Amino acid sequence: MQNDKGTKGYHDVGGDAAGDIPMVELPWLHWEKQVEAIRGLLGDGTRRIVSLDEVRRGFESFGLDKYNTLSFYRRRLEAMTDILIEKGIVTRAELDAAIKDTTARWSTLDDTP
Amino acid sequence: MTRFAAGDRVRVLALHKDGHVRIPYYIRHRTGQVTQYCGTYLNPEDLAVGHTSGPAVDLYRVAFAQTQLWPDDGIPSQDTLVIEIYDHWLAPEKDSDDAP
Repeated sequence: MQNDKGTKGYHDVGGDAAGDIPMVELPWLHWEKQVEAIRGLLGDGTRRIVSLDEVRRGFESFGLDKYNTLSFYRRRLEAMTDILIEKGIVTRAELDAAIKDTTARWSTLDDTP
Repeated sequence: MTRFAAGDRVRVLALHKDGHVRIPYYIRHRTGQVTQYCGTYLNPEDLAVGHTSGPAVDLYRVAFAQTQLWPDDGIPSQDTLVIEIYDHWLAPEKDSDDAP
C-alpha cells in the first residue's frame, strides 16, 4: 500500500497537533537525577543489564492511559523496574520490601523536630 | 564499505516492525540526502529486547527538506531536518518503487 507507513506507536507524536506548548522551566528533581544515574549504571558498556532502548520498549508497552498519567522520569523508572523484574534481577517481593523499609526510615526522619 | 556516502539521495522505508524502533512515523517514505556517516552501532531494535551481542549496523545522518515534512506554508525552502537513520531503514532514492 503506497501510503502505508507502518506502525505508529502512541509515543510517536512528531507532527501531531499538540496545541500550545507550555513554556515553563521545570526543575530537575533529585529523585529524577537518581533515576538517570541508576539507568546509566545499568546500561553502561560494562554491565549492559538494562539498555535505554529496553527502557523505551518498556514504556512504549504501557498502554496509552498509563503512559499519559506518568511524567518523563516516572515512565523511565517504572519501565526500568519492570525490566529488572522481567529479567529476574530483582523480584517484586524484594522491591516491595525495600520500598517498605525505606518508607519507614523516611517516615521516622519526618517525625524528627 | 558502506552502502551510502554523504551526498547520496535516499528514501526512508516503512518496515512494519512491531516493538521499539527509532525511525519516527513522519519520516517514513520521505526522501532526503545523506550528510554524514556516523559509524556502526548496535541495533536499538535488538537492544530493546535485550540482545546485546550485535550485529552492529551502519548509522547515517540524513537531511530532509522541512517543506516536505510539514504542511505549514511559511517554512523557508532551505530549512532542513537532520535525523539519524539506521542502514536497514534506507533505500537509494532511484531504486524506490514505493513512492507515495
